[in-house]
Amino acid sequence: MAKKTLVGRGIVSGRCKGIALVSQKPLSFLGGVDYSSGVVVEKNHDLKGESLKGKVLCFPSGHGSTVGSYVLYSLVQKGLGPKAVVNQVADTVVVVGAIIAEIPMVDQIHIKRIKTGDVVEVDGEKGTVKVVDKAD
Amino acid sequence: MYLTKQEERMLDGEYGWANQVSMKILVRLGDLFGATKLIPVQSAHLSGVSYKHLGDAAIDFLNEVANNGGRAQTLATLNPSSFDQEYLVKHYSKERFAKQTRIIELYKKMLIQPTLTCTPYYLQKPKLGQHLAWSESSAVVYANSVLKAWTNREGAPSALAAALVGKTPNYGVHQPENRQSNVLVKLEAELPAEVDYGALGIYLGKLLKDKIPTLKGLHGSDDEMKQLGAAMASSGMTTLFHIGEPSKKEKLETISVEAKEIEEAMSSLCTTDHAPDLVFIGCPHCAMNEVESAARVLQGKKIRKDAELWVCTSRYVRERAKNYVDIIERAGGRVLCDTCVLVTWIKDLGVQRLMTNSAKTAFYAPTLNEVDVALAPLKKCIQVACRN
Repeated sequence: MAKKTLVGRGIVSGRCKGIALVSQKPLSFLGGVDYSSGVVVEKNHDLKGESLKGKVLCFPSGHGSTVGSYVLYSLVQKGLGPKAVVNQVADTVVVVGAIIAEIPMVDQIHIKRIKTGDVVEVDGEKGTVKVVDKAD
Repeated sequence: MYLTKQEERMLDGEYGWANQVSMKILVRLGDLFGATKLIPVQSAHLSGVSYKHLGDAAIDFLNEVANNGGRAQTLATLNPSSFDQEYLVKHYSKERFAKQTRIIELYKKMLIQPTLTCTPYYLQKPKLGQHLAWSESSAVVYANSVLKAWTNREGAPSALAAALVGKTPNYGVHQPENRQSNVLVKLEAELPAEVDYGALGIYLGKLLKDKIPTLKGLHGSDDEMKQLGAAMASSGMTTLFHIGEPSKKEKLETISVEAKEIEEAMSSLCTTDHAPDLVFIGCPHCAMNEVESAARVLQGKKIRKDAELWVCTSRYVRERAKNYVDIIERAGGRVLCDTCVLVTWIKDLGVQRLMTNSAKTAFYAPTLNEVDVALAPLKKCIQVACRN
């Protein structure tokens, strides 16, 4: 299968390659992700029980308390956080979280075109997400 | 976005890590939301103080900022914490005490004043047209709509960044054209009490999301507007509302609100009709005259043995309302400073049912505090708290 490159907008610079973890639901880092484990705990969330550790986390948008930025920072500091964030629409909670955590972030990406398990390359400078290896 | 030479150097890290990371936040948000430059702010008000809400994650970050040169460059104040120093402090673990104290100490190290109130405008009232960077949503709406100062709805980190740099990017409601209303709300119902303003706010917030309404047919006091705005900002993303007639003869989308909608919002906020264990007045923190109103209803009465009454306010107001505080305390009520129900662990105190006059609290408490809620006007709340 041909590699596809999705073009969005670079929010926080930096590049990385990793396995995508994709959600169709907005995510609140405060209350929605357990601070001590990096596992999603939000009720009825499609990622409930999933660990964010080392993943390229793709979800439509953030929501909830702005303190959520600090949760993203701490998870990354402790090695429990995502490697990069890909959003459909960047909201301030996630933008600030990615800035202080110093992980690449891209938005304006059609999340549905990425599947959990895909290997993707994120370029926070160019604002691109390249799917280099599809999940089954 | 245009940056001065000094701002550029700050962004490059010449003024230390705390200033650099603050500048990165301000510049990135400014770029994303269409700012052209940074503008000085008269004050910054920071949410993200209560340990209950903030958790351990934030301590890591605040610690780095405080220890890497982060110092406030403008008047900066703090939201409520998870306990007061007289009553609740005795009820929680050493760990919680230590963590909360640490958070406040880190902010103090950054020269941010430990005001510990969500109503900083009673301590120092912003003037018309002053630019602010505030992050308590109820205070943001009050500042913009009642005091007519100008502040975006900042998050906890962006308000901190603004405090440390003393500036904010000039996007959003810092631009006059972004302060104009884009929807007209015609109120076709009476609002007899502050709870009705709150219920209206919950209804409108859900409906309008981040729109800027002009509200026609509303004649409330500042305290009632405080309830309205706090509620709108809870169920929606309201930053600002206007009262009266739309300023231009433009065709605005128009919405009518009737008594039925307000009644429905009210009943959706009430999850119990059983007697409360805790009656709470003071979300947002009470103004002087709200402490007075509570005292007047309590005069000569006693609080039931099986319930508590909390009246939450700032230390500033409490010190100036001493006579009323005495009346409330003689009746067996508590006037608590530095905290409120939403940011403390009332479930751990055995509270199962809460009664309040605040629609914001009624909106949040079932999830944030895991308690049932009844919403009623101040007078009824206090009467329910009293012995027959």
